[in-house]
Amino acid sequence: MNRTDVAPSGLLAALSEAGLTGRGGAAFATARKVEAAHRHGAQLIVNACDGEIGAAKDGWVIEHHLAELVAGAQLVAPDARRIRYAAKRDSATAQRLRAAGLPVLEVPDRYVSSEETALISLAHNGLARPLTKGEPFVQGGRDSHGRRIEPSVVLNAETVWRVAQIADRGPRWFRAHGTPAEPGPRLVAISGAVPRPGVLETEAGMPLRTLLAAAGGLADGAEVIGVSGLSGVLLPRAAATGMRWDSGDLGRFGGSIGPGILHVWDPARCPVEHVDDLLQYAAGQSAGQCGPCMFGLPAIAADWHALSTAQDSRAADARLERRIDLLPGRGACRFPDGIARFAASARSLLADHLAAHAAGRCPHRDRSNHAA
Amino acid sequence: MSNELLWYLSRATGIASIVLLTAVVVLGVVTAGRRDPRAERATVVMALHRWLSLGMLSFLLVHIGTAILETYVAIDVISLLVPFTSDYATVWVGLGTLAFDILLAIIATSMLRHRLPERLWRLVHWGAYAMWPLGLIHGIMLATSDQPLLAATTIASGGVGAAAIAWRVTSSYADRDRRRAVLTEQWS
Repeated sequence: MNRTDVAPSGLLAALSEAGLTGRGGAAFATARKVEAAHRHGAQLIVNACDGEIGAAKDGWVIEHHLAELVAGAQLVAPDARRIRYAAKRDSATAQRLRAAGLPVLEVPDRYVSSEETALISLAHNGLARPLTKGEPFVQGGRDSHGRRIEPSVVLNAETVWRVAQIADRGPRWFRAHGTPAEPGPRLVAISGAVPRPGVLETEAGMPLRTLLAAAGGLADGAEVIGVSGLSGVLLPRAAATGMRWDSGDLGRFGGSIGPGILHVWDPARCPVEHVDDLLQYAAGQSAGQCGPCMFGLPAIAADWHALSTAQDSRAADARLERRIDLLPGRGACRFPDGIARFAASARSLLADHLAAHAAGRCPHRDRSNHAA
Repeated sequence: MSNELLWYLSRATGIASIVLLTAVVVLGVVTAGRRDPRAERATVVMALHRWLSLGMLSFLLVHIGTAILETYVAIDVISLLVPFTSDYATVWVGLGTLAFDILLAIIATSMLRHRLPERLWRLVHWGAYAMWPLGLIHGIMLATSDQPLLAATTIASGGVGAAAIAWRVTSSYADRDRRRAVLTEQWS
């Protein structure tokens, strides 16, 4: 029995015409995923993990648009028994989902555990670690241990909500938002040194200044704006306030809209030390499956730490530069690629600051001392 | 071919198989326990492991064929694959048959490796650690006890292989150690 008002073929045409892409960061064409999911009768995992550092929009969708989300999920997987909602264990999102009587896939609080194939592995009673990708798991198949994987598709919570909206309001409404290259309304989570952090409903092409103003504007002295968390890039204040929030402008800094995150870095903290903390965290988040990740990330973190604490700085910087180039494209998932992008961006943006650290000084601390 | 020639051919190919098998095992152990997998060296070791194993197989097939054909002792064709069926030295010939069965499984799974789950291939390949000592015991108990040189060759093979295995068990291996450490963290 078809519970939906839109015939499957009509839905696919609408999604395709709307140009909806995955809102989890990878921006894959949703119409193609949904078409494959229908063809293979795939189970649906709605990813509401907010896995990226600073992410909050999945939780926002659960909190404010759960009914539409559920309707969207049933358009993708008409059999409600084949739908699960993935959320971080003990999170407010998981509690809300459970309170609504929805089946929750509880995900451990680890960076790579909310990656799509890690969720598929967890849903099959495996560990929440990314799987080696061969044929798409939407067809079903086996993991590298020979375990059977039933046809499975993972869609981000915002994506599923947008599916319902497009089915309801049509692709023209959707296309009226955003840019031709990145159409549709989108959510962005703004956090850090702003007066009113939170999730905003906006669209691609919006001036970054407008988005930040909606969160109350930048705090005094804030110089660094992070885009897309650990898998993204850092922007300098001057450039950020003059650019648009779309992948064209962000691309000039190596970034993209990604999972919709802006984080204004705390002006009270030395940014080099902040990067140090983030890279140490990243090094501890490897799933220990691919060499370039499980050895490369700790190596990069150690290089940055050596640089920031003025230990053998020249050699450390040369190693860092070389190792950043070695990481991308060599893991089962894109975690090392993201960290390489983040480290390269930080190394470039904070070059002067890092050089001062390498010489045993911190311009940030000098300035704070002046102020005091 | 005279019966005597078959007999000596069987002894000679037997001891050659033991030496080559030991070399193959050592190369396999080196590959499995490598600490520093530099590309060229690892490739050479791997290629030697594969090609020597096929070379060893040709000696082994002659060894088995001649042992069945010669009539000095009674070993039937069935003992080629079914262990403990030989009238002559039932136990010691049987160990050789058992080793050959394991070897066939190892070769078959290696030929089909790209079509099999990695875990199945690995499980069967671990059988080498049973197959190799079975072959050595078979060799030392049957043919070389009254020949000091041949006995010494078999014992030396055992010593070299055991040393390689001891190295592998005791060597620290950053890759394995890190994988194990990560697995102790929470992943489900």
